Amino acid sequence: MFLNFFYTLKEVGIPVSPTSFLILQKALHQGNISSLDEFYTCARAILVKSEKYFDLYDQVFAHHFDGVPLPEDGGFEIDEIARGMLDEWLKNPEQLADALGIDEKELNKMSPDELIEYFKKRLKDQDGRHDGGGKWIGTGGYSPVGHSGHHPGGMRVGGESQNKSAVKVANERRYKDYSTRGPLTQAKMGEALKRLRNLIPAGPRDKINIDETIKETLRNAGEIELIFDRALKDRLKIILAIDNGGWSMDPHIQVVQTLFDYARSQFKEVKTYFFHNTIYDYLWEDPARYKKPKSIMEFSRLDPDTRLIVLGDASMAPYELMAHDGSIHITQRSGRPSIEQLKFLIKTFPHAVWLNPVSESMWGYTHTIMTISQIFPMYELSLDGLEKAVEKLMLKN
Amino acid sequence: MNQPVNNEFHGAKKYVLDNELASIVNISMKLEMPLLLKGEPGTGKTMLAYAIADTLSMPLITLNVKSSMKLVEALYQYDTLTRLNDSRFGDSKRDVSNIDEYIKMGKIGQAFCAEKRTVLLIDEIDKADTDFQDDMLDVLDQMQFDIIETDKTVKTLHRPVIIITSNAKKDLSDPFLGRCNFHHIAFPDPKMMRKIINVHFENMDEKLVENAIGSFYRLRELDAIEKKPATRELLNWIRALNADPDFKAKDLVREKMPFLGVLFKKSPDYERAKNLTSRRKMF
Repeated sequence: MFLNFFYTLKEVGIPVSPTSFLILQKALHQGNISSLDEFYTCARAILVKSEKYFDLYDQVFAHHFDGVPLPEDGGFEIDEIARGMLDEWLKNPEQLADALGIDEKELNKMSPDELIEYFKKRLKDQDGRHDGGGKWIGTGGYSPVGHSGHHPGGMRVGGESQNKSAVKVANERRYKDYSTRGPLTQAKMGEALKRLRNLIPAGPRDKINIDETIKETLRNAGEIELIFDRALKDRLKIILAIDNGGWSMDPHIQVVQTLFDYARSQFKEVKTYFFHNTIYDYLWEDPARYKKPKSIMEFSRLDPDTRLIVLGDASMAPYELMAHDGSIHITQRSGRPSIEQLKFLIKTFPHAVWLNPVSESMWGYTHTIMTISQIFPMYELSLDGLEKAVEKLMLKN
Repeated sequence: MNQPVNNEFHGAKKYVLDNELASIVNISMKLEMPLLLKGEPGTGKTMLAYAIADTLSMPLITLNVKSSMKLVEALYQYDTLTRLNDSRFGDSKRDVSNIDEYIKMGKIGQAFCAEKRTVLLIDEIDKADTDFQDDMLDVLDQMQFDIIETDKTVKTLHRPVIIITSNAKKDLSDPFLGRCNFHHIAFPDPKMMRKIINVHFENMDEKLVENAIGSFYRLRELDAIEKKPATRELLNWIRALNADPDFKAKDLVREKMPFLGVLFKKSPDYERAKNLTSRRKMF
């Protein structure tokens, strides 16, 4: 039963296993599944093991039980962009109508489905001429459509999913946000950062070592002698300094942000600071680099064992790095060039690395990257680079 | 509470269950497979286990997984020290030559040995390393384990209902996933949230609930919020609003929001939310 369904799932790239298919058969056989709705949920729970694939599952289900055509590879994307457009449309109809060069009122008359179809058609028309066509829609366009949106025609989109037929639910594609084809979630990044966990004995001596205790007790002719070990304790402190200014970093912010989301949950203490291009007198605690400046001179009071991780593309005009008044922000000119401040930081925190989102092969073309990499051990912001950086941070001395 | 008929799970007093999750829970119980739950913090993964235990009146045994945990700790513990102490001083009633007296069951062991069927909640499995996860699934699959010290095998009397939660800090291994059913709990939508609130508070002012939910979802959508408020925060917030005698439901609409500290636990988030509400007031 449902062999075709199973193989279609496999074909679209969901890792389904024969064992789980057999379990599904068992469930069917026992009469535990009595309706299509139940089949939808149960088959998903049994066959699909990650929310990443829920969206694909929904599409296959809709295809199999409702004859909705499976989108071809390109189709997925257009679908997504069209949804993004609808989203944008809900927020700001005039702007989008303007961009498409049509009358807002005309779009007003359409139902959401018609709108999506219309957008899709427009996107397909534009192929070739307008390659990066998704750009102006904004990458934020992946959020589910319309729960809080306002449709100019006075219509609500999306929303309630209770008591609808499974096919309808599947067609809603609620799990699109978790799809592998959506924005990247860097699970691997977390794996690499996890190596930072510093498992050196540093806690109090409060864990009893049974083997040693028995040995010492025997040596003591049966008089009990307790031997304690130090408890393993994760005591790593991290300072993250992130370059969040300037267009040159913009494409990497998303990546950087995931990285630091992961970092947060894995260490004893993570402090995040922000800077623009390079570090002068201050780092900022707020992303806007405005409200909470922190003088880097104060860092000398912190534990020198703290690991300093700088994230930045290290690309700027050479004078920003070398000149006494190099900062492009007038208020930050203290007379010490940034390069001196960087040297001060590396002296304060011997365990420091610079992660650079620019591909390593390109470093040679930018003067400031070369200069900074002579001060900071610099690594590429990739899994490999990260692993090397972690290795470097864990070196003693 | 009435004894439920034919052991099906329909949601508990304080837990609102959608049909989808209910059928997944029921099928997992029938197939006797562990159910793995993922989802944002605050979507009620852990609460589900409590709700099942409560509804089906089964005892709940919770294993809180820690990063340094070894599987054996979850199964049983051999109390060497007490035995050593007894053999030296011999002032206890225990029989030193009988190792069984020094074996204590861990959480999984307890669930296996229990007289009646239990709910075994394995909380935050992703904290442990992969070996732990795989070995544990072996044990849960075979429903038995050996006590090396006494060379005995512990077998389950009643197969427990196993709920495993994961915060998705890292991916679980394929063999692990192969052995459980999977569900991802999405964040409740406003309508669902309303039901959740209704089971927690009786006779709450309709207007207040409506406005609070509206503001809550608006606040959740703020950009650059580090820790989004979850269900728990909303419930506490409503409790706080309700307890304040000076507070009137219509105030919320005017974006004058008190007790933001209940919703936002990180100070930058708090500042942001606060700024937003005070800025709106000026217009």
